[in-house]
Amino acid sequence: MSKYDPIVYKDGKRYFYRFSAHQRVQHVVLFSSVLLLALTGFPLRHADESWAKPIYDMMGGTEYAPLIHRAAGTVLLGLFVYHTIYWMVKFYQNHLCKLKQENRLTPLNIIKEFFSQEMIPNKKDLIDIIHLWKYLLYFTNRPPRHERMSWREKFDYFAPYWGIPILGPAGVALWWRDELSHIMPGIVLNAAYIMHTDEALLAVLFLFFVHWYNVHYAPEKFPAAKVWLTGYLTEDEMIHEHYADYVKVMIAAGLEEEIKPQHFAGEHYGW
Amino acid sequence: MHYLTRAKRIFPLLSIFLLLNVNIDLAMANELNCMMCHKHRGLSRINEKGEFRLFYINSELFESGPHRRNQCSDCHTDIDRIPHKPAKKVDCTQQCHMIEPSGKEKFSHKSIAKTLASSVHGKIDADGKEKEHAEDFPGCKDCHDQPLYRPISVFKGVAKHGVSERSISRCKSCHTGGNFAEDFYEHITSRLHKTRFSKEIIEVCAKCHQDPEFRKRHDLDDVVTSYKQTFHGKMVALGSERTPDCIDCHVVEGENNHLIEAKTVATSSTHPSNVGNTCRASDCHKNASEQLAGFQTHVTYDREKYPLQFYMLMGFKALMAIVLYFFLTLIFLELLRRLFPRFAFFKDNKPHHKSVKSREE
Repeated sequence: MSKYDPIVYKDGKRYFYRFSAHQRVQHVVLFSSVLLLALTGFPLRHADESWAKPIYDMMGGTEYAPLIHRAAGTVLLGLFVYHTIYWMVKFYQNHLCKLKQENRLTPLNIIKEFFSQEMIPNKKDLIDIIHLWKYLLYFTNRPPRHERMSWREKFDYFAPYWGIPILGPAGVALWWRDELSHIMPGIVLNAAYIMHTDEALLAVLFLFFVHWYNVHYAPEKFPAAKVWLTGYLTEDEMIHEHYADYVKVMIAAGLEEEIKPQHFAGEHYGW
Repeated sequence: MHYLTRAKRIFPLLSIFLLLNVNIDLAMANELNCMMCHKHRGLSRINEKGEFRLFYINSELFESGPHRRNQCSDCHTDIDRIPHKPAKKVDCTQQCHMIEPSGKEKFSHKSIAKTLASSVHGKIDADGKEKEHAEDFPGCKDCHDQPLYRPISVFKGVAKHGVSERSISRCKSCHTGGNFAEDFYEHITSRLHKTRFSKEIIEVCAKCHQDPEFRKRHDLDDVVTSYKQTFHGKMVALGSERTPDCIDCHVVEGENNHLIEAKTVATSSTHPSNVGNTCRASDCHKNASEQLAGFQTHVTYDREKYPLQFYMLMGFKALMAIVLYFFLTLIFLELLRRLFPRFAFFKDNKPHHKSVKSREE
């Protein structure tokens, strides 16, 4: 199914496959456009602050920053549509084709297959969240053992899927306000304005504090995780974040005897 | 040090000039030589009310405004000798000695005062009675100080700030006398765009409209703050000259800028039946329909007045609080957990996978 090896070796170390080049490029487009949007949007949102004008002027000032903002927004919306198509194609190839071959293409099976996808939240995630709180409050000494996608990664993944449908149409409405006024009352723009600015604040704060903690600030990741570039996780990261998947991949590769024990809160890391 | 020695050298010369009452500032020539004293930066006094008054005139600034062609005594009519007694307040509606070129009469700002009196800012109401808190209503000098020209030049389709030597040379080929060409050039081109920066206009209106006491007396919303929260206000704050300020929407296009009317007046630019046209004026939202007027500009997030905005804002704030507090608490606890990695009230020593058993613990 995939041209990527689940485990590769480099300098005697094991690396575990996470993201294909296609997915990594999508992530680069995603974060580039989001950063541009934030740099051209937040000085405007906080126009009265002293830092706003220098940043806005650096981004092209009142003349060009709005153009950059709209261009980046268009790219982001395009990526949203592209990724949705990408997902549908993958779902067809990896799930529906399998059902077709096995002659089990019934609505119930399609729904079951839908929920079997790795990024769809499931019961294990709920168990993991409860487990994590037990762990964080010292009720157990074992961190949760995540599958290939942990609930946090699923939340990160679906954050744009909830943010873009709010931010995007509101941004388009504010952009094409004159044309829109022929089909919708003006108060829609009041709603769009709040949707755009406040959802943007939530998105940026989430990215800055939570996502960047996960991939930048966390002691074992600082200054930056490399998976977005290489597509592979180190063995330590794999054990720390996806222990259940680690065991599964190791067994599948015939390395059952070399499975390492689980980490405890960042032990075994060189930080 | 250098300047001091230089000053010492020219001081005798300077004092001779002063003694002879020679006009140093030729550009501001006038019969009384007011600048002899008023050029000094420290010229000031504390008046009977205990207020500090500065009487310094910055001739460079004065020379860049439309009043530069007036003599001091044109406005300060009560001063006929120096030294003089405390001057009366200037009445902008009096006739000055300048001849208004279109009608050959002496110039006066009287007609502007008349327009202002008929606007929402007039002190007298429609029945001829003085309005409540009449002292709050503005006169000329509450909004205007010494005006300055803001000339522009256009060359090959590119507009820039400042006087164009190319254009003015064409005027001067015929109009050679005095500063006529310069004066008219600045007089006209300053009015081809906004004579004052939008930021400045907002400050002018904010002087009263953002004052909490004033708003309470007249039962007004904080329209300046709500304006500053709009896209228009924010772009102006970032230096845009293409987004509207107070005047642009509150004066009917082509009408005298001093005629700001209440939204209850049928001819007002903000009357519900006119807002659509106001938005579409001056090529601003020219492709918009009448419905664009439904956009609420001065939103205060008051629950009674703006329920949609109030509840949306509350909703987003709640969502933000839930998401961020949940994750930030989690991050905090997780960092804390690293201090005691193996501690737990209940230990689970079962290894996750059988092959690890022999090597774990």
